[in-house]
Amino acid sequence: MKQTRRVIKLDIPTINDRPADFDKLFKLWNEAKGYSLDITFDFSTCDFLRPNAIAFLGGLARLVESRNGRVTFDWNTANDKIFAILRQNRFARVFGYTGVSSGPGNSIPYREDKTQSIYASDIKDDIIEYLRHEWLGSGLVRMSPKLKNAIVGRVWEIYANAFLHAESGIGVFSCGQFFWRMGLLKLAVVDFGDGIPATVREFFKYHPSAKKFSASGCIRWAFEPGNSTKSEGTGRGIGLDMLKEFVYANRGILEIYSEDGYALFRPRKQEYGLLSSSFEGTVVNITLACDERHYRLVDEGLSGPWF
Amino acid sequence: MKLEIKSLVGERCVTSEDGQRVYDKIYPKLAAGESVCLDFEDVKFFSSPFFNFAIGQLLKDLKPEDLNELLRVEGIVPDGAFVWRKVVENAKEYYKNPEAKKAVDEILKQQAEDE
Repeated sequence: MKQTRRVIKLDIPTINDRPADFDKLFKLWNEAKGYSLDITFDFSTCDFLRPNAIAFLGGLARLVESRNGRVTFDWNTANDKIFAILRQNRFARVFGYTGVSSGPGNSIPYREDKTQSIYASDIKDDIIEYLRHEWLGSGLVRMSPKLKNAIVGRVWEIYANAFLHAESGIGVFSCGQFFWRMGLLKLAVVDFGDGIPATVREFFKYHPSAKKFSASGCIRWAFEPGNSTKSEGTGRGIGLDMLKEFVYANRGILEIYSEDGYALFRPRKQEYGLLSSSFEGTVVNITLACDERHYRLVDEGLSGPWF
Repeated sequence: MKLEIKSLVGERCVTSEDGQRVYDKIYPKLAAGESVCLDFEDVKFFSSPFFNFAIGQLLKDLKPEDLNELLRVEGIVPDGAFVWRKVVENAKEYYKNPEAKKAVDEILKQQAEDE
C-alpha cells in the first residue's frame, strides 16, 4: 500500500530586521527543524519580508531537505508585493516557481553556496562578482570603483567567516535589497553551521565555566581584535573587527545573530543582547549607504616601514 | 626576487589559500636573507585572510627590522596598504605571546560569573 507523506503547514509572519524579527525567524527554525516530513510555507499572514528573512528561509528550506523532508512555498498565499520581490530576486524560481519571471527591480539576487561548492577554486571570483556587479552594480549606487573595491574586500570577511562555519552545515545563503528611497543597501548572509558561541565554547572547552559562557558574551569576545578560534599560528581574528570599524566609520549598520545572542553596531551605538529563541547558525546583516559622500576611507599611507 | 602578485594570484587577494601560496614563495628567500619585492600592480581587492597567511605568519620567526630591510612593496593601492598594516599590527601582537589569546578574558569570565 502506498504511504502518504504527512505535510505540515508553517506560517511565515511579517519579518523586518529588528531583534524581535530575528526572534520570529528563529522560532520558525525551531518549528521546522523538528520535522523530517514535508513542509509547506504559507505567506497568508506575511505583509513583507526583508532580505534577512529571504536568505534565512532559503537556508531553512535546504536544511529541511537535507533531512529528507520536502519543502513547498505556497506562492498563491503571497501578496503581490512579496511575490514580486521573490520573483525579482530569483528566490521563487530557485524554489520551483515556473511562471513568468521578472526583472531584478531593486532586489539583489538570492544566492546559495552549498557546502560542496565552497571549496571550488572559483568561489572567490563568484562571490566577488556577485558583490561587485549585483550588490553594488546598480546605476543608482553612486560610488567610485575604488570605494566599491574596498567595500567588497570588507564584506568578503563575512563570507570567509561563514565558509569556515559552513564546513559543519549545509552551505551559505545570501540575499540583498536596494532601498532607493532611503539610499540604503542591505545584504544578509546566513549559515546553519556551528554558531559563534558554540565555536567559542569549544575553543575554551578545558575551562571549567566554558559551558556557561553566554551567547552574547561569546559574540562580544569574537569581535575583539585578535580574538580567533582558529589560531593555528597566523594571528588571525582581525576581519570582523575591521568590518565593524568600517561600518562605524561610514554610518552603516552591522548586525550579527548566532544561537540566542546578538550584537548590533549602529552609528554611535553598540549593543549585545539575548533573544528568547535560539538557532544553530549565524546571520550577518549589513546596511550601507549607497552614496560616496557618506564614506571616509582610511588612508594609512603608502610610505613608512611595512613591518 | 620580484613577485608579481597578479600573475600568481590574480586581482583578488582575499583567501588564505592564495596568501599561503605567496608565503611559500617568499619565506625561503627571506629566511635566507635574500631581498624580495612584492608587486601588487593591478590587484584590486584585499582582505585579511590573504594577508594573514601571506605576510602575517612571516612574523612567526622573522624579525620586523629584518623584514623592513629585505621586503619591498610596489604598486599597492591605499586600501591594500590599510589591510596590510592592520594584519601586521595584529600579527605582531599575537606573536609576542601566542598563548595569551587562549586565556579566558574578562568578557567571558564575567558572563560565566553572572549566571
